[in-house]
Amino acid sequence: MSHYPSTGTWQTCPACGRHVHQRQWGTYHQCPFCHYWQRLTAMQRISQLVDESSFTPLAMPEQSVDQLDFPDYPAKLARAQQQTGLTEAIVTGTAMIEAQPCILAVMDSHFMMGTLNTAVTRRLIHASEQAREQQLPLIVVTASGGARMQEGIYALVGMNLILAEFARLATAQLPLITVLTDPTMGGVSASFAFKGDVVVAEAGAKIGFAGARVIQQTMPVQLPADFQSAASLLANGMLDDVIERPQLRSYLARVLASYGIQGGHQHG
Amino acid sequence: MDERLKRLRAADRISAPTIIKALLPAMVRQRGDRLLGQDDALTAGFGQTATGLRIAVLGVDRGTDIASRRQKNGGALTVPGYRTALRVVAHAEKFQMPVVSLINMPGADASPQSERYGQSQAIADLIAATGQLTVPNLVVFLGEGHSGGALAFANANRIVMLDDSLFNVASPEAVTAILHGQQTISEAIDLLPMTAEVLQQRGLVDQVIEHDDADLIQLIIQSINQQLESVLTLSAVEVVAQREAKFQQFLATWPVN
Repeated sequence: MSHYPSTGTWQTCPACGRHVHQRQWGTYHQCPFCHYWQRLTAMQRISQLVDESSFTPLAMPEQSVDQLDFPDYPAKLARAQQQTGLTEAIVTGTAMIEAQPCILAVMDSHFMMGTLNTAVTRRLIHASEQAREQQLPLIVVTASGGARMQEGIYALVGMNLILAEFARLATAQLPLITVLTDPTMGGVSASFAFKGDVVVAEAGAKIGFAGARVIQQTMPVQLPADFQSAASLLANGMLDDVIERPQLRSYLARVLASYGIQGGHQHG
Repeated sequence: MDERLKRLRAADRISAPTIIKALLPAMVRQRGDRLLGQDDALTAGFGQTATGLRIAVLGVDRGTDIASRRQKNGGALTVPGYRTALRVVAHAEKFQMPVVSLINMPGADASPQSERYGQSQAIADLIAATGQLTVPNLVVFLGEGHSGGALAFANANRIVMLDDSLFNVASPEAVTAILHGQQTISEAIDLLPMTAEVLQQRGLVDQVIEHDDADLIQLIIQSINQQLESVLTLSAVEVVAQREAKFQQFLATWPVN
């Protein structure tokens, strides 16, 4: 279709199909023609959100292994690791956002579509435990197609286990802020994504449970152009706000400031 | 269709309303979510069992003929269904009644309405609520239960399955669709641990019941009573902890690199 390569210096915009040179995407990775926000990697997201060199990754020993002998899974994992330089679909750490401390967990849709599996579950639970340990707010940036099929029911139980841990975070009166980015679907949408004390979406994000393709396979309906868009969810009362990417950092800083939690280790 | 799935989806498959009628002959039916509407796929209420135990029940079934299947949306619970279940769970918590769920449901209701009314949030809220219940809860898989919707009922102290029933992250059809048809539906059932036997071996399922036993209804009621009895003596804190520990231990069997 394209006479330009879709990787390298030129990329095809997934929204409008025009060819965009890597410099044209700019700092915030936006299509200059249609204003589509390109999906960020976890590391790009973190560098946009946190104070310079304030991000300290939490120890993340948990990596995926294949226990079920699902065909091609080990190869897919290896490929995802090689392409992203990550060990799993989420990166967690302590960070400062405009000089305010928090625990930050960022999912990466480039790693097997950010799917929730046993390792992601363990890391997210660990991040929340650290938030309780250090008495800090937890910010979770979601980007996920849902549960990872290849880990079967082991991926599914991440949903209730993460919610059980977040119940402890709530008991500790520590804020959970969820930032829903493109895409936030399936098991992530139906578990912790909307469990934030403050729930916001990045402009342009697709958010929902069953995707448009699945719905249209089930019933012959014409879906509106803004179906499952951040803007329509805001209009329908599902979100506190929709934030443009360049404002996300200052928005989160404002939320953190409004809670005014400075942290400090929990003893005893 | 795969023979195993045909059996689970057959019109004469044992269904939640049948067992609920036998379990709670004088049940007080609870309907509606007080917000959007009500869902015919859900049979819910509370009452006293023959053994004198006050319990709440949540049943999800697919319907037995064209009319009832249409009415029940084939067992694909809609937002009012989850929200009604949430109300029943809150009521059970208030009056300290154990909650028994009996399910045979396909995956999510893939429709614009369910998305519009917050299917994600409804499921998440029910998973969270069943997880924090301070009275014991139990689920019986009478057929299929997949995805977050089934987990909302299966987030329980005890999990019982009929021997031919299935519990998975997604329906076998959805697994093959999501993985772009690399596997057939029958292969998907064998590839992932979703049968009662395999899930019992792996420590998630507490009891498996033969589906073709002549006294199946009585067997299920007996199992409900026995399984509940083993957790009824736990304190409120212990009930919540036991439920979470059950799933934590299951997750812990997945090796870490």
